Parts: sequence; C-alpha cells; structure tokens
Amino acid sequence: MSSTQTEAKPASRRKLHIPFGLTLVLLLVLLFVLLSIFTDSFMTERNIPNLARQGSMIAILALGETFVIITAGIDLSVGAVVGFTSVIVAWLLTNDVPIWASVLITLAIGLGIGCFHAFGIVKMGLPPFIITLATLTSLRGIGLLLTNGATISITNDSFTNFSRNDLLNSLFGIDISPFDIPNLFAMVVLVAIPAWLFLSHSRWGRYLFAVGSNAEAARLSGVSVVRTTYLAYILSSVCAAFVGLLLASRIGIGNATQAEGWELQAIASSVIGGTSLFGAVGSWHGPLLGAFILATINNGANLLNVNSFWQRIITGGLIIVIVYFDQLRRRKR
Amino acid sequence: MVTASPTHAAGVAASVAPILELKKLDKRFTGTHALKAVDLAFLPGEVHAIVGENGAGKSTLIKLLTGVHVRTAGDILWQGQSAHIATPHDAIALGINAVHQEVVLCPHLTVAANLFLGDEEVKYGMLRHRAMVRDAQKILDEIGFNLPAGAMLGSLTIGQQQLVATARAATRGTKFLIFDEPTAYLTRQEAAQLFALIRRLKAKGVTIVYISHRLEEVFDLADRVSILRDGELVSTERIEDTNEEKLIRGMINRSIEQIFHKDVVPFGKPILEARHLTGRGFEDVSLTVREGEIVGLYGLIGAGRSEFVLSLFGREPASSGEILWQGRPVKIHNERDALKLGIALAPESRRDQGLCLNMPVGFNINLPIFKRLTRGILIAGGQETAAAEQQIRDLRIKTASRFANASSLSGGNQQKIVIGKWLNHGAKLFIFDEPTVGVDVGTKAEIYRLMGTLLKQGAGIILISSYLPEVYELSDTLHVFRRGHLSASHGHKAASHEEVLTQAIGV
Repeated sequence: MSSTQTEAKPASRRKLHIPFGLTLVLLLVLLFVLLSIFTDSFMTERNIPNLARQGSMIAILALGETFVIITAGIDLSVGAVVGFTSVIVAWLLTNDVPIWASVLITLAIGLGIGCFHAFGIVKMGLPPFIITLATLTSLRGIGLLLTNGATISITNDSFTNFSRNDLLNSLFGIDISPFDIPNLFAMVVLVAIPAWLFLSHSRWGRYLFAVGSNAEAARLSGVSVVRTTYLAYILSSVCAAFVGLLLASRIGIGNATQAEGWELQAIASSVIGGTSLFGAVGSWHGPLLGAFILATINNGANLLNVNSFWQRIITGGLIIVIVYFDQLRRRKR
Repeated sequence: MVTASPTHAAGVAASVAPILELKKLDKRFTGTHALKAVDLAFLPGEVHAIVGENGAGKSTLIKLLTGVHVRTAGDILWQGQSAHIATPHDAIALGINAVHQEVVLCPHLTVAANLFLGDEEVKYGMLRHRAMVRDAQKILDEIGFNLPAGAMLGSLTIGQQQLVATARAATRGTKFLIFDEPTAYLTRQEAAQLFALIRRLKAKGVTIVYISHRLEEVFDLADRVSILRDGELVSTERIEDTNEEKLIRGMINRSIEQIFHKDVVPFGKPILEARHLTGRGFEDVSLTVREGEIVGLYGLIGAGRSEFVLSLFGREPASSGEILWQGRPVKIHNERDALKLGIALAPESRRDQGLCLNMPVGFNINLPIFKRLTRGILIAGGQETAAAEQQIRDLRIKTASRFANASSLSGGNQQKIVIGKWLNHGAKLFIFDEPTVGVDVGTKAEIYRLMGTLLKQGAGIILISSYLPEVYELSDTLHVFRRGHLSASHGHKAASHEEVLTQAIGV
C-alpha cells in the first residue's frame, strides 16, 4: 500500500459522500425550476408556504424513522401515532388543559409508545416489523374508541393559529407575509439541529450505527444494545407525536384516522435520502431532502392536474430510480 | 497413497501438460496492484500449496480463478486454451471449485439439501427429500466424513460445516479444487478426515491448491509450494527442496528470529481468581490470572474453554462458584459488568462478533471509548481523529484511511483492529479467543508483540487457541480442558507437546 493511496482515499470518500446529498438538493432545485416554468401557480405566495407546510410534517416523521432504520429496525406505527396523538391533544385542549401541558402530555405519550416498541423488541423478542405493525392497527383502534369514532374539533385558537402563522410574525409581530418562514417549516429546523448534533457528533448517534452494523460486536465493545434500541424507538415515536401536534394544529381537529399511510411516506423519504434498510447507513439531512422532494412532486402533480392515481405511480417509480442510483454509487465504492 | 505422492508429482512435473496455467496474470484495483504478472502452472493430480502473508495476493488469485474478479491483464489457460472466467458459474462449468475460509451455505437447510443445492433430485417437479438424504449420507460415508446428512447445517459446529462445504465442492465433477485455510476451524479429527479426502482426490487426478498459514500442513500435504509476496511470485519449489525457514524468509523477506515473541514480565498481584466455577459446558474450573501473566487455555473444540471465558465475560453467568476481581468477590451478570470491571474480549469470529464491517476503521477502533471521547454531550472530533490515527500508526494497520470501511481490510489487519481497539480502553484483563486464526506469520508476530505491550502495562491475558504451538510457547500457565473439566495445568513449557495433547484428547 503506497502512501499516495493513503492520501488519495479520504478525498475520494468525501467526494463520494457529499454528492448524494448534493444530488438531492439539485433534484429539488430542478423540480422547482421546471415547475416554475411549466405552471403559473407554483411560484406563488400561496403555494410555496403551503408546500413548505405540507413537506414539514413528513420531514420530521422521516427523520425520526431514520434513527430506527439506522439500527436496522423499522417503525411502521408512525402514521398511527400521528393520528392517535392528534386525538389526545384535541381531547386535552377541549377539556381546557393549558396548551403547554397538552403538548407535554402528548409528547410523553409518544415516549411511552416508543418504550413499548423497544420493550416488545428487547424483552419479548418480537421483530420490529411485527410490534410496530401491531401498534399501527391498535393505536388507530384506541383513538377511535376514545372518541367513539367522532372527530374532536379544536376550539383553542392560539393552538390552531400556530401552524398557519409564520415565524417572524409570531415571534416579533413583523408581518412580511409571503416571505416569512412558516412556523411548521421552522419546526423542521428546530428538530433538525439537535438531530444533526445527535447523529453526527454524539456517542449515542454512533451507537445507533454500531447496533445497525453489527449488534454483537457493539455489545462486546460495551455498547448497551438495549438502551440504544429504546433510544431509537423513543425518538421515532416522540417525533411522530410532535407531528401529531402539528397536524392537529394545522387541520384544527383530532381524528384517529388522520395521517393514513404516512409511515410509508416517511420510510420512502428516508430511503430516497440515502438511508439503507439494512441499517448503519443514513444521515440527518437525507430524510429531510427526501420528504421535500416527495412533497414537491405531489404538489407539482396537483398543479399540473395530474391524476392523483398517477401521482402514486410516479412516487413508486421515483423510489426505485433514486435508490437504484444510490446502490450503483455504493457498489462503485 | 501417501508414499506414492512425491514420486508421482516429481515424475509428472517434467512430462505432463499443466491443467491450468497463469500467464503474466495481473490484477489492479483502484490504488492497489494486487497481483503483478504472475506466471504459474498447476499440474493434474498435484497438491500445490500457496503461502504468503495476508495481502500478498493469495485471495486475489483465488478470486480470479473462481470468477469473483476479472483479471486486468495476462491470461489464464485451462488445459492449454485461453479460458474466459468472468463469473463463478464459468469457473464451476470448467471444473474449478473452492472451499472458502468462511462457510457460505444455508444454515436453515439440512446437510443433504446443502450438498445438492442447485442440483436437487426431482421427481414430477417435487423434491425427493428422503432420497437426497440417503444419497448424501452415502456420499459422506464414502469420502470418510462422519456427518449426519439429515441434520440442519446450522446445528453443526463450524468445523463440521466446513467439511460439508468441502464435500459439496469435492463431489461435483471437480477437476481443480482450491482450499483457503481449510483447517482454521477444524478439530484434529476433522482435519485428519479432510487430509484423507485430499489425498484421495489427488490420487483420482484432481489438482488441489492448498492455502494455509500452518506450514506443517503444507509440508504434510503438498507436492509443490509457491510463495507470493506483495502480489509477486517469489518462487515455486518442490516440497523436498525447501524447508520452513526458507518459506518464512520468502514470505516476509526478513528473518524473524522468533515468531513466538514472548516478553518476560514479572508477575504482579492476582487480577482474577475463578474458584470452582460451574456453568453450562464446564464444571469446577479454578484458575488465577496475575498481572503480567498469559494464561493459556487449550482443549479440543467443545471442551468448554469458550463457554468458560464467555461466562467470565458475563455472557452466560456461571451457576455456582466464585469470582474474585483484584481480591474481592464480584458478580458478573452481563458484558457491561465485565467491561466496567476491566475485562475485554477479542472474540473468535471477527466478522460476526468483532467488527462493524460496513463502518469505517476509525469508528471501529474508537467504539469502546466513545464515552471517554465525549466532552459534555458531544464527541470531541479532534481527539477522536487523533486516537484513531494513533492506533492505525502504532498497530501498522494497512488501510487506505480511517474512513475506509473495515470490510475493505485484509483478515490480519481486521484482527489488529479487533485487538487494538482495547489498547486505549485501559482494560485490566484481556481474553483473546483464537486471536491468530487465518492470520499470516508477520501479523501473528505483531499480535504477539501487542500482547507483550499489554502485559507490560500491568494487564493479564487469557489466551485461547486451538493451535498448540501458539498457546504452548506463549503461556506462562497452560490449562488443559477436557470435557468441561481442567484436566491438567502446566508452567511455561513445563510439559511436552505430546503430554498436553494427550491430556486434551484423553487417550
């Protein structure tokens, strides 16, 4: 092994690493450019904030999901958790619980659900797919049972206004409406920064990768696989509960059947963002970009009057194409 | 058959045309020149050993012959004609088969099903399970392997699985059979069965390529031996024209006075005392490890050595008995208890237990000490880099960089990580389970030197090895396991090889 090789390799790795994130950014930019050219309604002060709000919730969901997928697990319950927690927060608010308490209780319930998943995996030995599939169906059932199938309308205006408002306006009362950052999008940043520090710069983030790569080697190296598993599923469920809050705020109701199929969108976003379902490969920015790419495509298809059935097919095709290219890139390495 | 072999090969070498010939065979990977214009001829019915350090190009050569990689330049002649081997299928079609170091079969299928995988007996489109088990048993008995054809592959030991893989390769019209470190996981009896098969295949005219780090096996089996070093062919000689000294010198191009380099370190206080420990697979085992001491555990596979150390490491705690850690009684319930006390384990299988293969080298090196590298809640990047770079330098790990995935390294270099990651951890007792399996002489010497470093730092070592010369030469105290019991204990080289073997086998 010559020294020239030793020097050449890190650079080539960096060259390989950033471009995938960059490709996704370029893809997103390309979509924006194309849609601005081919539709009149895309680059409008109504549509762009709307798109940002639409993509934000899936983005946060996908980020939480990514923590689990990095450990070579899967969390199918996130969509159901969103629906369920929207019921919880709506119920709490209609019973005059203050907003701050309702938010904390709802997040705590998310934490509890995550604990339950990890318990099932670690202590009962159930595959992640099974335990989260079970909560996927039963959480929706519990949510429907609590409300007797009815929808709870949220009458607390300051709660519902949050998701419609923009960041600078709600913080400082400055109204620059179409150019302000929607609060929902600001929430993505609020989640992304700690997620970045956690995943790239903390030992717990490393442990997620270690467990996903080789749980046995991690255990023998002194990593607590049990705690790491708890951490991953708790993060995923808490992110989902957080999205439940945002959704309840956005649509002003609590309903357990909301967010149907969002778990698949979250997984798709994560995978488009370069996360490997075999574990140990993933980043904090990938799922965010993946989510906004999907949101933009759906938004654009709506504006172009593409049949919504076709939208689903396009999404499927896109997943295959992007992951295939990612696979090619990996094989080359 | 044994007596016939040398004359057979010697006579053949002059007259018979080679079955397979390499002409200036060359292979480059990005950044590495793995094989440099190698000329080599294999004769029908010879056992041709290939020796060389890890990274010398042996694996690359095998992969070119079995169609895993495609050559960059040069030619492969099969029975005098240029052969195009682009896929494993091409190789098998010619009659080239290989038995790899790691078993690549299906653990959830029966031995018979694995034997016939891809070539099943079918009647009316249905599998003939019972007939296949019967035929498989016949084949196994015929080639002298003592294996149950109806058993699940996964229920067998690694050694037995290795034999199944061998049987599979040997019975498919093979004309050219490559063995890559076949005895690494075999017991002595299993190895004997394998050697008998090799001699029979040879007598039938099959060409055997035998790759092993165990030179005594090479001298036992081979007709000719080729040495590879840094991708180049150093020499090809008839086995009677060479000796161990010459081979080792050819492989590493520097004379090592002592492979089994042993630092003499004065013993300190006892680190760990096991008193009458009983658990699954072992009974009433008592032993002491002191500072600066290597305690060797020797025994056949299944004799209870591995079970015993795994219980020390908290894997499956002992059911009765007592463990004293630096003089005070402790309970070790799980791995974290063990690590907290200061017990580190370098496990037997680096692929399954030792490494996160698809993670970077630096990540693997630092995995046990991320906690210490953490400042506040975040990892100190500079220190992380420094720790990884220092280990790569100190252990002379051959890697493109600390960002390269562990899977891209050769076996010996992977093993250096498995052991080296504990150097910064500051553990007090190290358990090495088969630390030099599939590792070349040069790396072996480095691993032994590493042990010396640990001892000088005041650590104690428990060394498990199936390779008798290794435990024998290195151990300050050697305990022999037989059927779960300690059958004997010796001071440094206090008993002969034969005595130790007898105590392990229990004749």
